[in-house]
Amino acid sequence: MAQNDQALLMRLKDSGLEFVVIGGLCVVYHGVPVATFDLDICCPFGEENVRKIESAVKDLNPVHRLTANKLPLAETRGSFKDLKNVYLQTDLGKLDCLSEVSGLGNYEQVLQQSILHTMSFGQFRMLNLDALIAAKSAAGRQKDLDAVRLLQAVKERKAQQKELF
Amino acid sequence: MIDEETLAQMNGKYVCPPDAGPAWRAAMEYGFDMSLIEASLKLTPEQRLAEHQQAIDFMIELQESGKTHGAE
Repeated sequence: MAQNDQALLMRLKDSGLEFVVIGGLCVVYHGVPVATFDLDICCPFGEENVRKIESAVKDLNPVHRLTANKLPLAETRGSFKDLKNVYLQTDLGKLDCLSEVSGLGNYEQVLQQSILHTMSFGQFRMLNLDALIAAKSAAGRQKDLDAVRLLQAVKERKAQQKELF
Repeated sequence: MIDEETLAQMNGKYVCPPDAGPAWRAAMEYGFDMSLIEASLKLTPEQRLAEHQQAIDFMIELQESGKTHGAE
């Protein structure tokens, strides 16, 4: 099964959804080379926003990947207003959309702790380094704590290099 | 003539930057390969994401190939 994060990001942006990239891809972004097999974002929820998520992936056979019967997203429209998170499997990979991030708070709070980065394929918001460390610390799994050690080393190194130049 | 230190590096010994701080040294002592972090920090964020995508593509291909060839 493919995992094309760039294509998913571009589709989400084109849908008009506001979002911040969180999770493993953000760890990679900040300089720690880990392998991550899903795209995690934090976004505002509510029916309108879940519809935007749907419009971004509707031609990619999206299903709720954590449901026992892999329910197609389109068949659950009646529940869009009640969703707080969406965990999807699509033809372009896994896409997890969260309304809150442990250690940081809701979308508005996450947004305040993000940075806008321009890449060749568009402008995207990523968690800033301190916020990512806080989120990974709060997540608390061994792999998150390992990432925290390395992110702290990166933070220290970047601060040193800023002093040098 | 290659000195002992260079030979050790050729054999995989990581040389910690002399000005590395406590967090860097702690991560190194914990067992992380800090040469990978150094290399990553030399890239732009976009280059890091592209490299990650290549690695993921390769791992997925490997996984699929393993399935096809009956790997356990």
